[in-house]
Amino acid sequence: MNAIEINNLHKTFGDIKAVDGVSLNVQEGEIFSLLGPNGAGKTTTISILSTLLKPDNGDALVLGHSIQNEPMKVKEALGVVPQDIALYEDLSARENLYFWGRMYGLRGAQLKQRVSEILDIIGLSDRQNGRVGKFSGGMKRRVNIGVALLHKPKVIYMDEPTVGIDPQSRRSILDSVVALKDQGMTVLYTTHYMEEAQELSDHIAIMDNGKLIANGTHDELVKLVGQLDRITLTINPESKQIVDIWKLTPGVQTISAEDGILTLLVDDSNRVLPRLFETASVNGVRITSVEIQVPNLETVFLHLTGRALRD
Amino acid sequence: MKIIYIAIKDMTRSMRSTFAVLFMFGVPLLVTGMFYFMFGNIAAQGNGFDLPVARIVIVNLDEKSPNMQLGASMMGTLDGQNADNLGEIIVRTLQSKQFADLLKVTIATDLANARNAVDKNVADVALIIPADFSSRYFDQGSVSVQSGLELYSNPEKTIELAVLQSIMGQFMDALSGAKIAASVTANHASNLDYAVIGKVVQEYFAGANQQSFNPRTLINVKSVTKVADPNPVAGIVGPIMAGMMVFYAFYTGMTTAESILREDEEGTLSRLFTTPTSRTVILAGKFLAVGLTVLVQVVVLIVAAWLIFKIQWGDPIAVMLIALGTVLAASSFGIFANSLIKSTKQGGVIYGGVLTVTGMLGMIKIFTLQVPNTTPMMQTVSLLVPQGWAVNGFLQSAAAASITDTLVTVVVLLLWSIVFFSIGAWRFQRRFS
Repeated sequence: MNAIEINNLHKTFGDIKAVDGVSLNVQEGEIFSLLGPNGAGKTTTISILSTLLKPDNGDALVLGHSIQNEPMKVKEALGVVPQDIALYEDLSARENLYFWGRMYGLRGAQLKQRVSEILDIIGLSDRQNGRVGKFSGGMKRRVNIGVALLHKPKVIYMDEPTVGIDPQSRRSILDSVVALKDQGMTVLYTTHYMEEAQELSDHIAIMDNGKLIANGTHDELVKLVGQLDRITLTINPESKQIVDIWKLTPGVQTISAEDGILTLLVDDSNRVLPRLFETASVNGVRITSVEIQVPNLETVFLHLTGRALRD
Repeated sequence: MKIIYIAIKDMTRSMRSTFAVLFMFGVPLLVTGMFYFMFGNIAAQGNGFDLPVARIVIVNLDEKSPNMQLGASMMGTLDGQNADNLGEIIVRTLQSKQFADLLKVTIATDLANARNAVDKNVADVALIIPADFSSRYFDQGSVSVQSGLELYSNPEKTIELAVLQSIMGQFMDALSGAKIAASVTANHASNLDYAVIGKVVQEYFAGANQQSFNPRTLINVKSVTKVADPNPVAGIVGPIMAGMMVFYAFYTGMTTAESILREDEEGTLSRLFTTPTSRTVILAGKFLAVGLTVLVQVVVLIVAAWLIFKIQWGDPIAVMLIALGTVLAASSFGIFANSLIKSTKQGGVIYGGVLTVTGMLGMIKIFTLQVPNTTPMMQTVSLLVPQGWAVNGFLQSAAAASITDTLVTVVVLLLWSIVFFSIGAWRFQRRFS
């Protein structure tokens, strides 16, 4: 059964099509990742699904409730972890949880018990009376997630919850996402980190420029690329001329250049790489690093858009 | 209940800000305290300070009573000019050089002219001496407040009223003593010797102690339900405190309402909108927080000023009404002003400009309180802004103005509030719809 059904969503801001005809289904109890670079339309999609924004067209059902016609039912059913930390920094972790719990309709002993449980889950029981403003970025992120779990939602949206935090906190958050799935929650997770989507997701949808450009399991998406190898090169000095030459080199399917780093999809790296070194040498360009990768989601994105999936 | 939870959360946040608390309570009390100690020190050093010259208009309707034997003989003793009635003595006393530095006395021909002079701000206080004042005074059995002197004053002229009340109080005390002395002397005049003089003195004091009525009760202040505190320092500091309180109440209204913009920028407002709480409830909670915060501030300042500076705010009900009107006006003004602002970055500049201009306009009354012969326009200008009405209300209350005058001020403040709140709430609803 589908926890979320998105049908032909559109949202425009001025001349910019932030969401352009997105349709997808998220099954109950799975982790579904929306992957895409910044500005791809992931947050706008989440905002529409959270009833924060009204779509220009289309609709979505969350546990069978229309975001257009039953927004309050939708809000009751879901928890939202916003991209930026949305907490009251001059209140303690406990006070924040109490306040947000009340906003989700919790009261009395139930609220008290749930706040204690959440403090345990996010590992901040011993810091519960500390003001959030004095917490580290990782601790704030954990409280930020804790707030969304207070009312035991069946569906949770997590909008890039690991942005700007240390590796240890990131690991902790990724583990907690898996734990939520194990508890039966449906998680809609947005990220521009390919590794996160790859590690966590049952299904992945790739967005770019407001459009859904691919949707499936990790293996299904990688199959889109076929047997192409991905080569990442660093050259010195930067040269547009060499990029143009390499585009015409036999075996090179796509090439993208950004900040002196070139990413190529090639038929067979063993045959293509010597040709690249040769033309580089002839044109006075030095290749300072080479990395060959088997196909992954980055490769898929590069294959589909001709651009690398970076910040 | 969610409205209350949102309001409590916002108030908790406000009260945890040292900066906010300082501006809510510290600065108004500090500024007033500076004036209090400044005037207090001058008074303590015996140098005094410049009291305004009170403009008094007197209408003397007092008549000579044919049965006033004792009074007639007293009148000659007291005045030396064979006055016909006590009213004449009062007029001459107040016109004497002794009070020239304090009083500027004019005479009105009738009651209407005297009151009219006060109403038009030509005079600060009208002293009305009733027709039967002399005869009633010399017949103690029928003395009543109704037959006493009437003081009709401009409610804002608290100091002028206090000065005249003080002079008339002393005058009535002296008159009372003289009456007893004259009475005793008349009884013993035929056997005048040292023993008689001793008895006169003895009986004078005995008479004074047995006096069954307080001659000061003969001073009946009209348009005033309670005699103002004669403490001149509190009288001067009171309006300053009122001004500071109103100015900073509006400041608090503005900065507390800013939390709507701040929460929008910090993302917590968006997050609130993702909870099963309607946007109307969320905004109502935010608005309630503004009102409650200003209410706490105003109540604390009123009580603190009363305790610390001994400021008499006036009738409690009148003070409550004016305080409520001020709280509503300040809160709604803050909501209105913030609804016009796009971000908190704009807020700093706009708050400073708007609050300074409207605050200064509103306090013109206080600035000109001690300035004689201010034009009516000066008083009117301050009423162009809600702060002016709030200040006006507290001055009226302190001067024990009539309930009608107080209610007019409260109603005007409520009207300001309705207009500000309607526009502000509508704009915020539209912004976050």
